[in-house]
Amino acid sequence: MKVSVNTEIAVTYLSSRKKQTLVAAMGVMFGVSMFIFMQSLMKGTNDYFEKMSFNTTPHIRLYSENKVADTHMMNNYLRDSSIKILDNPKQLIQRQGIINPYGVIDQIKKDPRVAAITPQVTANVIYTSGSVQLNGTVAGVNITQEDKMFDVKGNMVTGNLEDLNHVNNSILIGKGIADKLSLHTGDNITVGTGTGTPIVMRVIGIYSSGVKQVDETKSYTNITEAQNLLGKDRSYVTDIKINLKDYNAAPDVAPELETITGYKAEDWVQANSTLKTAFKIRAMILNSVVGVILLVAGFGIYNILNMTIYEKIKEIAILKAIGFPGASVISIFLQQAIYIGIMGGVIGIFFGFLTSYGFSKVYIGGSSPVGGTLNYIPMSFYMPHYIEAIVFGILTTIAAGYFPARKASRVDPVTIIRG
Amino acid sequence: MADTALSATGITKYFHDPVTMPVLKNIAIDVAKGEFVSIVGKSGCGKSTLLYVLSTMDRDYEGNLEINGVKATGRSLNDLAQLRNESIGFVFQFHYLLPDFNCLKNVMIPALRLGKFSYKEIENKAYDKLKMFGVEDQALKRADKLSGGQQQRVAIARALINDPAIIMGDEPTGNLDSKNTGIVFDLFQKLTQEFHQTIITVTHDEDFAHRSDRIIEMADGEIKSHGRK
Repeated sequence: MKVSVNTEIAVTYLSSRKKQTLVAAMGVMFGVSMFIFMQSLMKGTNDYFEKMSFNTTPHIRLYSENKVADTHMMNNYLRDSSIKILDNPKQLIQRQGIINPYGVIDQIKKDPRVAAITPQVTANVIYTSGSVQLNGTVAGVNITQEDKMFDVKGNMVTGNLEDLNHVNNSILIGKGIADKLSLHTGDNITVGTGTGTPIVMRVIGIYSSGVKQVDETKSYTNITEAQNLLGKDRSYVTDIKINLKDYNAAPDVAPELETITGYKAEDWVQANSTLKTAFKIRAMILNSVVGVILLVAGFGIYNILNMTIYEKIKEIAILKAIGFPGASVISIFLQQAIYIGIMGGVIGIFFGFLTSYGFSKVYIGGSSPVGGTLNYIPMSFYMPHYIEAIVFGILTTIAAGYFPARKASRVDPVTIIRG
Repeated sequence: MADTALSATGITKYFHDPVTMPVLKNIAIDVAKGEFVSIVGKSGCGKSTLLYVLSTMDRDYEGNLEINGVKATGRSLNDLAQLRNESIGFVFQFHYLLPDFNCLKNVMIPALRLGKFSYKEIENKAYDKLKMFGVEDQALKRADKLSGGQQQRVAIARALINDPAIIMGDEPTGNLDSKNTGIVFDLFQKLTQEFHQTIITVTHDEDFAHRSDRIIEMADGEIKSHGRK
């Protein structure tokens, strides 16, 4: 390969001042590796929290919500023969639960975007054990389907999940409930709702989702047990939980389901709006830190190239005298910046990976108050971060190198050579 | 005028700092191909300034400059850089080599820039040029490790690498002892006589000037004598 003179000069300049080159490259390296580390940590954490939220929340939850009175019924009765005005509309009590839930489920199942769907009966309950009472909710579910959607099995502390299907009056309680009422697998617990008669249930297992609020209130039981608790019939279902093939599509699918079914469809983004806001703010903080680091690295390169140009001003004049046009001089100095950028970028990628990998092995589970599933610092190893990092690194060096290079190209050989 | 290497007419130049004053006053100069011209004069008479105007590096002048029959006045910086690269060789009072490169590279750089020959050919040519000045044994040393006289000879070799039509020197032998001055002079003479290259030097060295083909004498920004024999 034919190496151009400009490249040869640029490389010679770089290699004749190894220390300065190295310092400049280190600046870029830190910028790039910090970028990768920060992005990996952020994505890792976000992914973790997202995954955690999907452990408890479905992508879309369909439920019946009280509605504000509208002119719907009047329209049915009066048709278009008059103008209907509702003065001071009030909330209307809706029938709790979904009418014909299995029909609705069959209909939604036909949508190709839906991956899984399961009904649930939610009941607000009071747990009683001995003289201690505790408020909470019982989710009456088909535990096999529930496990497929939310990986309940992965959260099991003791007991066997499947027992919920074949043990009469069985209940799976959260670790928080177990601790507060000092219950163990095989113990009995009295569960009562406002409407039905209290039932003594057997604890067949204890789970820990990692979310304290959930573990202290929520327990699982069979869907029919929940209906019994509430004193309702077998078609009584309060929620339909839907998982999609692509959870990012949830905000688009939810309104459609709302229109089709007439029930409120809440997607996970709405349900976890605080989580999403936290993601955004975290992204802003980390990106500005990384931006500052790259900016500082850029100034480092700018400084070093500027110094080089003062040092080499006579040589630049000579190069111009012997026939190097301004563009060649720019090329010589810009190439130096780019090589520094590439060098720093490549080392930075390597270093960034190592740092991320190292941190992903740091054990934090033991002392974490959450306990649960977060044992190691969550880190993602996501290829686009590495590409972004090196691109940003090189762009910074080009921007930082361009101004000194342009200055060099404007050196007037006559004034320099004549002194 | 096919055998004119360089022709300048009405060259006038002002210095603006601290006050505007003329340094070159309506100078006309013709140099034929293969001529060896020395420009002499007291310091401050404008002879170096004139050389930089003739070299195309200084564009801030009035008048008209032609090199090899082509008008150089008013051309773009890039055109002039190309012109210098191809047809003008420079030797400065202080050698001005690139200290990070070895001598061979220093000599090769203008030719690499021109890109007319392959790397290997240029390397061979550069060796030959160094040999002409007896510094071929220093070829692979870094330029800043050589003595002043050796550096100057390498610098002259660099000026010759592209076989330029015109070689310009600003006190090219100013830093050389009499023995080396003799070597350089003989070489310059050989270049003009055998290869018809044109040489224009500014010099203080009376002896050097008297042995050249023509002496142009300058005083106060004007040419006192064109020295035609």
